[in-house]
Amino acid sequence: MHDGAISTVFFYLFAASSIALALGVVLGRRLLRSAICLIGVLGSSAGLTLVLGFEFVAGIQVLVFIGGIVVMLLFAIMMTSQGHTFEQQPTLRRRVAGATVAAAFFTVTLSAYLNADFPVPTAEQLAVSHEGADEIGRKLLSNQGDGYIVPFEVISLLLLSALIGGIVIARKHAPEDEESDQDQGLANHPSDVGR
Amino acid sequence: MTGFIFENAWLIPAMPLIAILLIAVLARGENRGLAGMIGSAAIGVAFLMTCWLGVSYLRLADQGAAAVTWSIEWLRYQDHLVVSLGTLIDPISLLLLVVVTSVSLLVHVYSLGYMAGDEGFSRYYVFLSLFTFSMLGLVLAPNLVQMYVFWELVGVSSFLLIGFYYTLPEAIAASKKAFIVTRFADLFFLAGILVLGFYVHQLVVAGGSAASVVGAATTQTQALDFATINADSVLLALKGQTGIFGTDLLTVAMLLVFVGAAGKSAMFPLHVWLPDAMAGPTPVSALIHAATMVVAGVYLVARMFPGFAASEDALRVVAAVGSFTCLFAAVIACTQTDIKRVLAFSTLSQIGYMMLALGVASAEHPAGFGASMFHLYTHAFFKALLFLGAGSVIHAVGSNEVTEMGGLRKKMPWTHATFLTATLAIAGVPPLAGFFSKDEILGAAWDGHHALIFGVGVFVASLTAFYMFRLYILTFLGGCRSAEAERAHESPPVMTIPLVVLGVMSLCGGWIGVSHFVLPGVELHAHLAVMGISVAAAAVGIGAAFWMYGGQTNRAETIARSLGGVYRLVKHKFYIDEIYLFLTHMIFRFIAAPAAWFDRHVVDGAMNLSAAVVHRFAAGMNVFQTGQVQTYGIWMINGTILVMVFLWLVQR
Amino acid sequence: MLHPPTLTHWLALSALLFSIGLYGIFTRRNAVGILLSIELMLNSAVLNLVIFNRFVASGDVDGQVMALFVIAVAAAEAVVALAIFVSFYRHRHTLDVTEANQICHPGNSTP
Repeated sequence: MHDGAISTVFFYLFAASSIALALGVVLGRRLLRSAICLIGVLGSSAGLTLVLGFEFVAGIQVLVFIGGIVVMLLFAIMMTSQGHTFEQQPTLRRRVAGATVAAAFFTVTLSAYLNADFPVPTAEQLAVSHEGADEIGRKLLSNQGDGYIVPFEVISLLLLSALIGGIVIARKHAPEDEESDQDQGLANHPSDVGR
Repeated sequence: MTGFIFENAWLIPAMPLIAILLIAVLARGENRGLAGMIGSAAIGVAFLMTCWLGVSYLRLADQGAAAVTWSIEWLRYQDHLVVSLGTLIDPISLLLLVVVTSVSLLVHVYSLGYMAGDEGFSRYYVFLSLFTFSMLGLVLAPNLVQMYVFWELVGVSSFLLIGFYYTLPEAIAASKKAFIVTRFADLFFLAGILVLGFYVHQLVVAGGSAASVVGAATTQTQALDFATINADSVLLALKGQTGIFGTDLLTVAMLLVFVGAAGKSAMFPLHVWLPDAMAGPTPVSALIHAATMVVAGVYLVARMFPGFAASEDALRVVAAVGSFTCLFAAVIACTQTDIKRVLAFSTLSQIGYMMLALGVASAEHPAGFGASMFHLYTHAFFKALLFLGAGSVIHAVGSNEVTEMGGLRKKMPWTHATFLTATLAIAGVPPLAGFFSKDEILGAAWDGHHALIFGVGVFVASLTAFYMFRLYILTFLGGCRSAEAERAHESPPVMTIPLVVLGVMSLCGGWIGVSHFVLPGVELHAHLAVMGISVAAAAVGIGAAFWMYGGQTNRAETIARSLGGVYRLVKHKFYIDEIYLFLTHMIFRFIAAPAAWFDRHVVDGAMNLSAAVVHRFAAGMNVFQTGQVQTYGIWMINGTILVMVFLWLVQR
Repeated sequence: MLHPPTLTHWLALSALLFSIGLYGIFTRRNAVGILLSIELMLNSAVLNLVIFNRFVASGDVDGQVMALFVIAVAAAEAVVALAIFVSFYRHRHTLDVTEANQICHPGNSTP
């Protein structure tokens, strides 16, 4: 799927939709709508990955990014803010500054890309198929010099600790904890200071 | 020199150190009485070990042998410039060891009675043990740096003990005075050490594989060791180099060292601290300011005697300063009425005597050297005895002023008998200890054809007899002059037993041939003529004392009045203290005060200015600290972009 | 017709997505909105990795492996961030980040 007119068409299609939806994510004032737009962006990205010929990664993107992360974000939105209320407009100053910085970043990055000499892929290199997930799996679990077994294990630890950390941070305090918190004074309660 | 005690001579100074730790751990609060026991026991063990060392030395070693028997490397700067910690055993260090440990033991025991019930009882014993440790380390030092370290340590312990009664303003002032004056002198000593270390090291290293200059220089030859410095070839080479003010380098170095020695030994004009140091407890005066620490200067000069002898000018200075101090202090002692001050000036005078003896010695005629050591040894005993006796009297009467004493002969028989022994000894009455050592000094001066110094010596001998008997008569004879003196009674045995032991030493100490021990192989001969002169001088002094103070006459006051201004001048110690005070005020007004102004306004001002600038700047920057993480983020990305652009531009 | 996409086209696309995410981070006032923008940027990073794998190192699968790692890290990051938001919301009853300026100088707390 990485060559030919169809892929070209799909590229421009997905590119246009992802840019439009991304703008929707950052400009929309309704959080829920932004989240839906994000799903669209991620879906287009998965499509782009598919255009490149990486079916496995595209599948993971859909499964984890859309199915996991964005769904979790939707939960958070529903738990925390009322989806129907508008988010307040940022100040004009902030918007101008943000746009300037983002534009500058884009310019610099693009000029860096344009000035870099990337090796030009040959036709046969582009013809290599990447459709099998088995090589990725082998690479991930290889303990050879070019294997990723250690980062893989570290990532698993990271996920576990993130899970535990998330529970610890977000859980409701039990009544006896509340008392002990009060005993410790206000310093442990930034919320009380803020109120 | 082999044997357990030689190789482990470090155990001797280690004993008081252990005592300090034990006192610190065990003798606290209610148990503070234990401190005296621990301190005395430790120093007792040290004394026994010293005796063992002495006996082993006499039996096993050659006569006059000197050896570093134990040594550990401490600081290595370069080859031949290594500071080590060790024990040097030779006749004079052995002599000092015996003096220090025995007098210290007796003072420790005596203090059990004298200091009983004092609030700072364990503190007192800690300081006393610290002093003993430092003094023993000083005596055993085989190199200049170790000696300097312990030299400062004895200075500190002296400071602590003078200011022992730290609630009394005069004790605090006296301790500060002693510390500052000796520290000032030690600065010169340090300079001397640096000069010697630098040049001797150069000689050892550069001397053509060291052999030509230092003789048999080995890798063990250390520039700061006394053995190296005192080597004839080194001294000759140093004498060959030019110093400052048209003198040779050796003289410069030796004079610098001598200033340090003079400070510690309270030689004129650095003597001002010693009379004031009597503000400390009396046993301390006996141990530190009479018997041991103040003779450290004499010991230092004796240690480096080959250097002084090779540089004849330096030795001449030693002789001049010694004789002058000797005379000067004796004159002042005749007018003082504070019993401890009389003894302090007497100490000054006697140390001057020792310096004088060193000054009249030379490489060819070293008799004065032996005599000086001999006098150091006998003086330690009878002067410690005098102080301890004075302490006993003060303990009984509760005052230092002889005008409030009198008639104590019957009330304090033991104190009286021992004090009289010591007085006779210091006056030079045969056959007591002081007679022999003083006679040797005068004999050495006579032999060296130093007529003036001999004359001074004889005159001072007479003066010594006079002021000591004046003190004795005023204290013990006649009638009681105060109610306290009426009520006085003998001190407890723990105080009188050390007095008796010291009394025996003052009586018999002179019969030991210390000079032969210190100077083996040198022929020493007695002069009957000199003996006669010295005995006659003593007799004149004693007679004068009895004539002036013996009866119920007021001849003393008549004479004092007839002398008028001269008497007042002497009574006020020639106004030396006042001169120093004036000089100090001058320094304060014209150096210290402008320096303080400069510090306060210019240095501090610059600091304050820079602080104010930073503060203003920070207040300005504060505007950016909005607490908005997004703002920070924008600035961060801005910075990143700028860096990228900059790097890109630079790269092109 | 349409020009077939080259490496530069692809990279420009991912850079543009990234910049849009950047703008979102700086302008959203709701913390969850910021998190959405961050996900957008992470997505563009994933895209970049697979693009380079395709065009520069087509013989290897390292780019895909790294993309998987980025996705995993994004998941972990989202979990922790959401936990913090929930906690924050429980205390403050808002998720407006402009209110969260406790670290600034006391005299300077304009929103």
